[in-house]
Amino acid sequence: MITRSSLMMVVSLGVLVLAGCAHVVEVGTTAAHQAGVITKQEKDYYDRRAQETESAVRPMTDREEYYVGRAVAATVLGQYRLYRDDRLNLYLNQVGQALALASDRPLTYGGYHFAVLDSDEVNALACPGGTILITRGMLDRARNEEELAAILAHEIAHVNHKDGVNAIQRSRWVQAATALGADAARQLGRGQLDELASVFEGSVGDVVKTLLVNGYSRADELAADQSAMIIMVRLGYDPHGLTDYLARLAQEQGAGARQGFFATHPGMGDRLADARATINANKWQQVNHQVRDERFAAYRR
Amino acid sequence: MRRKAWFLAAGLLLVASVAMAASVKVITQQAVIRKDKRFFAPPVVTVPYGEVMQELAREGDWLRVQYRGNQGWIHVSAVQEQKVELSSLMKSKAKETSQDEVALAGKGFTPEVEKAFRAKNPQMKYDLVDRIEGYRVSMEEVHLFVRDGWLREPGGAS
Repeated sequence: MITRSSLMMVVSLGVLVLAGCAHVVEVGTTAAHQAGVITKQEKDYYDRRAQETESAVRPMTDREEYYVGRAVAATVLGQYRLYRDDRLNLYLNQVGQALALASDRPLTYGGYHFAVLDSDEVNALACPGGTILITRGMLDRARNEEELAAILAHEIAHVNHKDGVNAIQRSRWVQAATALGADAARQLGRGQLDELASVFEGSVGDVVKTLLVNGYSRADELAADQSAMIIMVRLGYDPHGLTDYLARLAQEQGAGARQGFFATHPGMGDRLADARATINANKWQQVNHQVRDERFAAYRR
Repeated sequence: MRRKAWFLAAGLLLVASVAMAASVKVITQQAVIRKDKRFFAPPVVTVPYGEVMQELAREGDWLRVQYRGNQGWIHVSAVQEQKVELSSLMKSKAKETSQDEVALAGKGFTPEVEKAFRAKNPQMKYDLVDRIEGYRVSMEEVHLFVRDGWLREPGGAS
C-alpha cells in the first residue's frame, strides 16, 4: 500500500512539476501502469491532466499571471475584510518568504506576499503570482510554527503549480487571440483593449470561482500537500506539521463542518492518509522545533 | 584565396558568437544579481524587468551573468532564456507561431488591460492589493529569521 501511494505521489507530482512536458508524464504513467501500480483509468486521468496543464499554461507569462493575481485578490478582498496587525503580518511574511525561497519557484514577477483575512471561517487562498490570503480562522487553528508553515507551504505549492491560472478556461485564449488579431506588434486600438479587458475579467472570474466555490481537484490538493512537505523538509521544518494540522481539520470535518474551506476541500481524511504515507515512505523523522514553538507563542500572544 | 579564408573566418566567428552569446531576460519586476550563488549573498546590482544580460555559466539553479560591467549570480526563476536570434534571421519561426502565442506574447494582460478592467469595475479593492504588495521582508530579515529559527538556508547551490 505504501509503495502504491508513493508511486502515486511520484506520478501526481510529475504531472505538475513537469507541467509543459505532457509526454514525459505519459512515459511515467505507462511504466506505472505496466508495473501494475496504477489502473488504466488512473493512467488515462493523469495523461489527460498533463495535457490540459500543458496547453493551459503555455500562453501565460509570469507578468500576465501577476495581473490576473492582482485582480483575483482585489475581488476576494471585496468579500472579506483585511485583518490589520503589523506584528502578525511581519511574522507571517517572514515564515512565508523563507518557505517561498525553498520552493521550486522562489521568485515570481511581483513576489510572494501574505495577508490575513478577518474572518472566523477556515480558508486560505493562493492568488496567481504569489499573493496568499489566509483567514484568521485558519490561522487560529495552527498550534505552532510548523503547522503555520504547512498552511503557507501548501498555498505556495498551488502558486508553484500554477493551479489558479490553470482554472482559466481554454476558450479565453482563443478569445484573446481573436481580439488582438494576428499582428501582435501593433498598438492596441480602443475596441481591442475593451475586448481584452473582458477576456481578462472572464479569466479572473474563472480563477475566483475555483478558489471560492469549486475548489481545486483532489489530485491538485494532494500534489500541493506533497510539494508543501518537500518545501518544509528542505527548509528544516517538521513535515508532521502538515499531518498534525490536517488531522485537526479532518476531525472538525468529521464532526460536520461544511463551511468555506470544508466545502472546497472535501476528503480531509484522504489527504491526511496520503500525507502520512508520504512521510513514512520518505522516512521523515520528527524534528525538534522548540525554538520555533517559543517564537510562535511570542507572536501569537 | 585570401578572400576565401577571410570569409571562412568571418563565418566561423558568426557561428561562434551566436552559440556563445547566451543571454537571459529578466521576467520579474526587479531582479537582484548577487555576489555568490545564494539568496542571502550580498547584492551586486538590481536589474529591472525586461533587461537582458549575458549568461556566463550555470551551476544548479544559479546563473553567472554579466550586466553593464557587473558580474554576479542570479537565480534561474528570475530570468528567461532569450531565444537565439538565428530563427528570426532565417524568418522561419514567425509563421509557425500559433495565434495563441502571438496573442499572449507580451501583448496579453498588460498594465493597460488592468487599467481598462479597473475603469469598468471601480468597486475592486485594488488599494488593499497594493497595501498587501507592500508587505515586504528584506533578504537580510529572512536570513536572520531562518538562522534564529534553526532552519536551513533555502536555495543554496549545494
